[in-house]
Amino acid sequence: MERNINLFVSLVFGMLYALTSQSQVGKVEVTTNAAGHFELHRNGVPYYIKGAGAKDHFDLLAKSGANSIRIWSTNNGSFLDSAHQHDLTVALGLYVRPERSGMDYNDEYAVKGQIEQLKNEILKYKDHPALLVWGIGNEVDLRYSNFKVWETIETLAKFIKEVDPNHPTMTVIAGVDPSKVYHIKKHCPSIDILGLNVYGSIENAGANLRKFNWDKPYIISEWGVNGPFEAKTTSWKAKIEPPNGVKADQRKRRYKELIEKDKERCLGSYCFLWGQKQESTATWHGMFLSNGKPTEAVDVMQYCWMGEWPTSRAPSITDIHLDAKNWQKEHRVAPSTNVTLSLDYEKNNNKNLEFSYLLFPEAFSSKIGGDRQETPEKISLEIIEKSKSGIIFKTPKIKGAYRIFAYIKNFHGQCSVANIPFLVE
Amino acid sequence: MKLTAQIALGALVYFTMSCGSMQDVRLYGPSKSTSAFEKFPYKILFTSSEEDGLWGLKNNACKEISFETTNSYIGKDHLHIKWNESSCKYIGIGLKWGNYKGKNLWPILATAAIELRVRIDSGALSNVPMFFILEDYGGNQCRTKINYLDLEGGKIDTEWRRIRIPFQAFNYEKRGVNMGNIKELRLEFQRKGDLHIDNIVIVPHTHNYAHTEDTFTKIFDTHPIQIGEGKEYWWGINPKYSSNIQFGSSFKNESVIVDLDASKKKAWDTFGFSPYQWLRVDLSSIYTTSAITFKVKAAELPKIQAMLFAYSGKKRKLQKSLNENHFIERESGVFEAYLPLKSLVGYEDFRWDVLKEIRFKIMSDEPFEMGDFRLIEFRGNPKKPTKWRGI
Repeated sequence: MERNINLFVSLVFGMLYALTSQSQVGKVEVTTNAAGHFELHRNGVPYYIKGAGAKDHFDLLAKSGANSIRIWSTNNGSFLDSAHQHDLTVALGLYVRPERSGMDYNDEYAVKGQIEQLKNEILKYKDHPALLVWGIGNEVDLRYSNFKVWETIETLAKFIKEVDPNHPTMTVIAGVDPSKVYHIKKHCPSIDILGLNVYGSIENAGANLRKFNWDKPYIISEWGVNGPFEAKTTSWKAKIEPPNGVKADQRKRRYKELIEKDKERCLGSYCFLWGQKQESTATWHGMFLSNGKPTEAVDVMQYCWMGEWPTSRAPSITDIHLDAKNWQKEHRVAPSTNVTLSLDYEKNNNKNLEFSYLLFPEAFSSKIGGDRQETPEKISLEIIEKSKSGIIFKTPKIKGAYRIFAYIKNFHGQCSVANIPFLVE
Repeated sequence: MKLTAQIALGALVYFTMSCGSMQDVRLYGPSKSTSAFEKFPYKILFTSSEEDGLWGLKNNACKEISFETTNSYIGKDHLHIKWNESSCKYIGIGLKWGNYKGKNLWPILATAAIELRVRIDSGALSNVPMFFILEDYGGNQCRTKINYLDLEGGKIDTEWRRIRIPFQAFNYEKRGVNMGNIKELRLEFQRKGDLHIDNIVIVPHTHNYAHTEDTFTKIFDTHPIQIGEGKEYWWGINPKYSSNIQFGSSFKNESVIVDLDASKKKAWDTFGFSPYQWLRVDLSSIYTTSAITFKVKAAELPKIQAMLFAYSGKKRKLQKSLNENHFIERESGVFEAYLPLKSLVGYEDFRWDVLKEIRFKIMSDEPFEMGDFRLIEFRGNPKKPTKWRGI
């Protein structure tokens, strides 16, 4: 009798567990509303993506008003668990090898191997409660020549349609172009959403999609400030990076005027990058510094997502000069001479600010498409004099290309940064 | 039973029973030929540290290599490598493979593979950032990586899993590697990892995968060529958002009616099309003697800027503003435009084998229709296209 009761209790709990697990899987679908606008629905409720490309700082992300993260591969399943714990959904990337990494889409063995591996990943994650949308491939179109890659994307999208009716499919391209739109429309009918990684080209992305006949919805899958690949360079090929304050203004305008305004087609966005990475410099795209401290870009995103600024805001560097010439100009200096680095900044109600400066050799890199880059080692900086608006420092003895970074930090550790490349000759 | 019947029955029983003890009789005797694989003398690359040569074993900040004697797959010990490329540009080890003797892989290229066993200490992975590199005696290298199709169980975990790397999977043709004179095998590691490796050997293997051809190029080598056929290959025409540019019907082939709304002119004043189905169009054998021609139906000549785009190359865009020298009036209100490709500034640096798109920007407010785009033979002065008698 006791055995039967135990069996019954186990059965009931088993069924309850199964039902709970099932109900945790979010049903996500693309629909159109009464106005004929595309909408993403999650569990029957409209879901506008306020997202970030992120692998950490999930606490602050959720607190800032975001509801989703984008990750680029299935290498680390713990990101989904962690996102779920913070009530964030995930646009989960399936890493489809781009041609530029050496993948040959004429090689059936490599193609089939990749597909089978990714099918396995799809089966592994399809019922994860944090999953929002599949991102099949990231920038596979960047410098590609073999259009067969779209067959792989379609094979995977079609497989998802067969095994996972709960999550839409997206493929992510690097900028909009009529030929890409044509090939995706023709070869990938199982793709529901187009993901756009757009930096400078975000300005016309929505209009261009309409001109290029994309008739499904889109997500701005990566956006932010203009990338290093779009930046002006010095005559010695160093990229000129705007100060953080300038970049913050650009982010705010782009979100308010370009992303948020396209109610008809845009299902939301993922800003880039809620974290830090080396891409020409250590501060170009990252909204955090390498020490994990947030910059004013984080404040801007809270303002975009929640409509209000945080109580404590980071200071913001709006301009930086070397010997009275600002960051947009070229700077050539003699070895071992004293030069003045000065800053313009907004205090944003911060009373006590801490200033610091670092010197690096220029990090020239030919990598593209967000491919991994090496961070240079900092070098000794001889500061002659410090003031509240900058420093006088001695230029290096050795001729070459350098970059000096200025940081301002408030009491809470919120920061701003700016840099100037210079040539010692 | 009669005697004959008894003999017949006895014979039947004898033959039936003796069938089981019949000996095989070979018509031609045992085969003396041996396969190319059997002849290949360098089948073992690594089974233990004592027997097989490796290089690159010195530990540094990015790699830690040891030979562990516990839980080996075969032999006295196995290779254990931990790596983290954060501060190193290259992490790798080499296998001397037959003490660097030149190895001719051609006879076994299609029928053999490198096989190895791998495991990790905990968890499971579907791949590791590890590359296999063959180097010939000319210093040329070809490479490949672990393929899911030849990864036993589709994962690397705490069991010794078999991995096969078919020789056919190496990109030796692309890299110009002499597979008839291979010096060594290298293992290259990227990012971060921790892997046990044992029993690296050459085994027979059938590789049933083809290398297909790229079919995304359309070659044009004779004139005339109708270009931009098929409305699905056009862009910039979307009546849902703008009536500035719409498809027309005045000409034999595709055409557009342009009537710019001055207030929305900037947003919808451009259209384009693929010369051929958004494939790479190869005009490399005829571009020097080609001109784009099209018809225009208008009360007065419109201001048009033409642009050509390539899929790749350093110079990806050519452009030209058309003027009256590009047009001939064929009948009242019907003009023909001629744009020699050699008249485009920078045409020498343009990749004519990967032409992508032809695009037009309209700078007139007056309505007109243009269409019937063709590529024709042109051997006149590019600066005075309409003076050539050939058109």
